[in-house]
Amino acid sequence: MWETVAQAVINGLLIGGIYALVSIGVTLIFGVVKIVNFAQGEFVMIGMYISFFLANQFGIDPLLSLFVSMPVLFVAGVLIQHFLIRRVLGPNDMPQIFLTFALSLLLLNLALMLFTANYRTVHTSYSDEAFHVAGLYIPVAKLIAFVVAMLLSGLLWLFLHTTDLGKAMRAASQNRDVAMLMGINPNRVFCVALGIALALAGAAGSLLMPFYSAYPFVGQVFVLMAFVAVVLGTLGNVMGALIASLMMGVAESLGVQYVGADSGLIVVFALLLLTLAFKPTGLGGGRAR
Amino acid sequence: MTQGSSARNVILLGIGIAVLIVLPMVVKSSFAIDIFIRILLFAFIGTAWNLMGGYAKQLSLGHAAYFGLGAYTSTILQIDYDVSPWIGMIAGGVVAALASLPIGWLCFRLRGPYFTIATIATAQALMLIFLKFRDFAWGAEGTTIPNLGTAPLMMQFESKSSYYYVVLGLLLVALLITWLIERSWIGYYLVAIGEDEDAAEAIGVNAPKMKRDIYMISAFLTALAGTFYTQYIYFIDPATAFSFNISIEAALVSIVGGIGTLWGPLIGTVLLETTSTLLQSWLGNSIGGVQLTVYSLILMAVILWRPTGLMGMIGEVRQRFAANKPARA
Repeated sequence: MWETVAQAVINGLLIGGIYALVSIGVTLIFGVVKIVNFAQGEFVMIGMYISFFLANQFGIDPLLSLFVSMPVLFVAGVLIQHFLIRRVLGPNDMPQIFLTFALSLLLLNLALMLFTANYRTVHTSYSDEAFHVAGLYIPVAKLIAFVVAMLLSGLLWLFLHTTDLGKAMRAASQNRDVAMLMGINPNRVFCVALGIALALAGAAGSLLMPFYSAYPFVGQVFVLMAFVAVVLGTLGNVMGALIASLMMGVAESLGVQYVGADSGLIVVFALLLLTLAFKPTGLGGGRAR
Repeated sequence: MTQGSSARNVILLGIGIAVLIVLPMVVKSSFAIDIFIRILLFAFIGTAWNLMGGYAKQLSLGHAAYFGLGAYTSTILQIDYDVSPWIGMIAGGVVAALASLPIGWLCFRLRGPYFTIATIATAQALMLIFLKFRDFAWGAEGTTIPNLGTAPLMMQFESKSSYYYVVLGLLLVALLITWLIERSWIGYYLVAIGEDEDAAEAIGVNAPKMKRDIYMISAFLTALAGTFYTQYIYFIDPATAFSFNISIEAALVSIVGGIGTLWGPLIGTVLLETTSTLLQSWLGNSIGGVQLTVYSLILMAVILWRPTGLMGMIGEVRQRFAANKPARA
């Protein structure tokens, strides 16, 4: 009995690490730039395709392709902020919502045109390996993904709390006007925030590749989770998003175990609706928009 | 607006409606009529979306929820209880309007982008629920609507042009409602909420009530489209009835055409659907994703260069024209 529960919890935590990378990106952008990036899931998809093609064409291990997907998406993030998002920042919600939404539609459908809807997988030497600890089954690929995801989250936390640029970002997210008065260049901070957020999504993509299929719609699964985690963990709060993502991974996995195989998403939506009904400011409390 | 220009508007409107009524008598190709029906249908859904999304700026991407509820209500009534879809259509509208109360209660707690996300989630959740209800609503396989040949009382026709007139009627009703709302105090209250909700409340606008009421009207109308579409294609399943593409297109046609304007959704639909038809006849249906790729590019272009949409562009052209007039006289 306890073993099935423990197994479900472990499965949930492992995939929750990936959700965390995506939702930290969403919440970072929301906190600093004050927009919601609807296209965040599509950058996970792009990260996956980068890893897939590097593995397929050059035999590069998906985990090594992290060092390609992250910089590529960092640059993409800076460019998107500088050339697109910067132009719609203002008091009006409509352009902000529908710009990133259009970007999401565009990337998704371009992928559909270029790569077709086929599922792409990469088989690595460790794809089928697993540890057996105390009757529990821990797949190596997922464990690596989880550990790297946690390492990257830790690095981001260090960056935000110890470097000048990181502190400038937190300042901009707490009070943009005062931060600007202190001499912080908002566009530079926003560019870095977008860059980091997209790099994290790219990392999520590469980490997923050894055990998950790439297809054009794959990002939608992760971005929905991320949106829920970001609401649950209080908008704009990085640590909140991390904890909420792990919780959601576990909730989803328990749902699959005890309610039914296709009920994972229902559990997630139920969590979102319950949060909205009873604690719209998120579990961390504090300010919501 | 002067007396002369309003008289001219009435004449233009009359000509426009007359053209729309005569159109299927002149154009006999059923392919063309099918496209006209699609245009009128999405213009109708867009107009319904625009009431809430355009005037009150509550940017929903979950209107598929009401489209689906309308479609399922009338279909269940028709197949299980032999109720005519005409009655089912109204019933579906009522179900959708009632459903908008709890959904709105939840979603309106959030503002801006997070309102949008919450609406996406509720529509997706409804789709999942209908996928699960196998004995109640046929589950994932869906069901076909029994074909009765020509049965006007059951909203079934053999000629496509009859469907054309049904959806044309729906669109005209939605435009009339929009026109009435736009001219009344309700329209001004909604625009005030859309501009700045806190400021609107400060001057005495009951924003939660206004948003709730306009959401009900918008949901009601969207549900009518759901019933119509199911009757038109003789088929229903959760993936079509709650398709995210419906939510997307409702918002898209309004934004491209001109958000918060009477004619915006119609003009936007004409542009987008025509583009998509031309693309399809040029490229064929072989490559997936072409249509939405082009739509998203158009949407980005509108947002970056003309946030007021096509209606805004038309307005600019008119102004330039009016400014030139005295010079010529």
